[in-house]
Amino acid sequence: MKDINKDNNLPTKSNSLPTKPCPLTPTNSKTIEVIEKIEGEAVVEYSFDGDRVDDVKIKFFQSRHIEKILIGKSVNDALVINPRVCGICNHAHLIATVRAIEDCYDSIEVPKNAKILREITLSLELLQNHFKWFYLTIEPLLGFDVQILKATKPSQLISKMIAMLAGQYPHNSYAIPGGVVGALTPLEIVGFKSSLNSLIKIFQESLIDVDLQNFVSCDRIDVMLSKSGDMPRAMQTILDKGYTELGKSNDKFIVFGEGLFKSGKSIKTRVATNIDTKYVESFDIKQSEAKLATYKGKFYEVGPLSRAMLLKTPLIKEAHRKFQDSLFSRILARVCEVPRLLLYTQELIEQIYLNRPFYIEPKILTNGEGVGVVEAARGSLIHKVSVRDGKIEDYQITTPTQWNLSFNTKENPTPVQKALIRSKKSDPLELIFKAFDVCSVCTVK
Amino acid sequence: MANILWLSAITCNGNSHSFLNLPSLEEFLGRHNFLYHTILPSTFSLRDIFELKVYESIDILVLEGTLDSDLKKFDINFEDILVEYAKRAKYILTVGTCATFGGIFMQKHSNRYGFLYKNYTAHNRFLSFKEKSVSVSGCPILPEILAGVIDMLSSNLPLSLDEYNRPKSFYGWMVHNGCTRNEYFEYKIDNHNFGELEGCMFYEHGCQATYTRGSCNKILWNEVNSKTRVGEPCHGCTEPDFPKDNLWQTTKHMGIPAKLPLGVPKRAYLSLAGVAKAFKIERFYKNILEEGDS
Repeated sequence: MKDINKDNNLPTKSNSLPTKPCPLTPTNSKTIEVIEKIEGEAVVEYSFDGDRVDDVKIKFFQSRHIEKILIGKSVNDALVINPRVCGICNHAHLIATVRAIEDCYDSIEVPKNAKILREITLSLELLQNHFKWFYLTIEPLLGFDVQILKATKPSQLISKMIAMLAGQYPHNSYAIPGGVVGALTPLEIVGFKSSLNSLIKIFQESLIDVDLQNFVSCDRIDVMLSKSGDMPRAMQTILDKGYTELGKSNDKFIVFGEGLFKSGKSIKTRVATNIDTKYVESFDIKQSEAKLATYKGKFYEVGPLSRAMLLKTPLIKEAHRKFQDSLFSRILARVCEVPRLLLYTQELIEQIYLNRPFYIEPKILTNGEGVGVVEAARGSLIHKVSVRDGKIEDYQITTPTQWNLSFNTKENPTPVQKALIRSKKSDPLELIFKAFDVCSVCTVK
Repeated sequence: MANILWLSAITCNGNSHSFLNLPSLEEFLGRHNFLYHTILPSTFSLRDIFELKVYESIDILVLEGTLDSDLKKFDINFEDILVEYAKRAKYILTVGTCATFGGIFMQKHSNRYGFLYKNYTAHNRFLSFKEKSVSVSGCPILPEILAGVIDMLSSNLPLSLDEYNRPKSFYGWMVHNGCTRNEYFEYKIDNHNFGELEGCMFYEHGCQATYTRGSCNKILWNEVNSKTRVGEPCHGCTEPDFPKDNLWQTTKHMGIPAKLPLGVPKRAYLSLAGVAKAFKIERFYKNILEEGDS
């Protein structure tokens, strides 16, 4: 092997430049933006009508065909394959998978300990996502220097907490039909609680210095802004820059998962709770490797803002009253899930009883159809499986990004299209786009 | 200090995220520089990368994800870009089982492969780069392994590699080494049930740790745990044929696991098992935390 410290091996300009004109070069009425450092990458094509965005197309490239890879495999192999849909929300895919498989049974008993553990590890994954997104994606777009360690310190601690209960993070498969693979000892419980306290402290010292319980009932934007921390600083910056009119979308929200959240849909603030995944459809998009998702043929936004609209979270209700479904409300809603999830995790860990079962062996599954729904960091994630003779006959995954960030016609726009159309060329288009948070790796076929 | 360029082919980004869990990330970022990383701030943009505008020397090219002869990003053939940077890089690390052997995303696709291997078979597409390549397999990789390899290469420490180009410092052990359930394996206690602290998953539940190379139970995941310690079988994710089929069940012939610990002949295994099973050691049939036990 060569010595790394010798010869610089610099290329010359002439032999490394592409000879063809680069396909990323913009034309007069169109610009093509590479969106990177999301989960994967995408290309956004803007067409302009004078100074304003006239239409938007979002294209993803890599296709993995994980649904095709699953066909013919033993049903429980999906527990190992599916977390590999996504490096950042792998655990949501595991929990959706185990729920879809359990739903195939006419009846199956899952012990409460296992249900609680799954809810804890899933909530931790949401927290991990929220920290990474706020510090690595949003802050730099507001003009702040990127604070890498403020993202990675909490996300490392959270990963460690998941590992205490589930073996490792990312990519464990500790949830299996009938419960979880192992059991806990008092050692994991005390270690977990101590880490949770450290995480709460990190939240207070970095994002916002508040008492968790008080903060979740706070309904005043000015009170939130008066606190110290990177969250009020970011929200104040959005106000100061006059971004509160930006990113307004269709004002239609949908939530399929439960747990900490409530399922239902909300058109502006009008809530209906009788929804059913059987009305969810997904369609291929020409020119892109992604799909788009609809409910009864209509587009809805999924994710933290939708969850807050359904829960009627006081602070987000107030933000929506003042600034509707703008990027202000969208970003605030996501960060405000952090204290709720921390409190929820605190409550849940108290409900583990070490002397009760973590797993009850189910009978062998031969045939069935099932649906598994979870609220992942970016919104509702739906897995549908059909099983025949113990093998996977069909598998369908509908991801949050398919709801929020696919594209359709400008007359009937998807949430992100609507949020961008009519924006000015000079507006922070990337911020509007990334306020939804894209997961490209999840979304591609 | 090394200049690192991280390129992604067809991937879930799992290795990128696992790398962020490196406990000494702060020190690592102080020592090394990312010309490009999929998540962290980097010297160059993705557009720069695809327009081949990187003029700095490249010490380490990291490749994550399965390759596909037809893969295009921004209408540019991915492999053309890969070859350009591979020529210039001093070392190439294939990070993750996808980039190394093809992995999950290769399944059911004939035109997909890892950088040097397609499953167990070496292919010639990038053979000229083999001399300067190192395989860092795993789904995902342990962050300590990736950082360790980068640090070893930049300190000119010798890397002894196995037959799949994996550094023996990390892949010379079996995942089985260090598993807290080892005693149940040693004494052939084959009544493992899920949902318990006790038992070994080798006999019934498909654990591949005795024939999978890796440091999962030596370095540990997230500094604290591992799949097998928690009771999940090892799925063999560092190996060329990951993922095999039927991952939660041990395939057996005449009651004997079809795959035995690496290098152990069937006769040796059966003799040992016979002796071990002859002793019914009470302790192994009790729950570790059972009340009223001494």
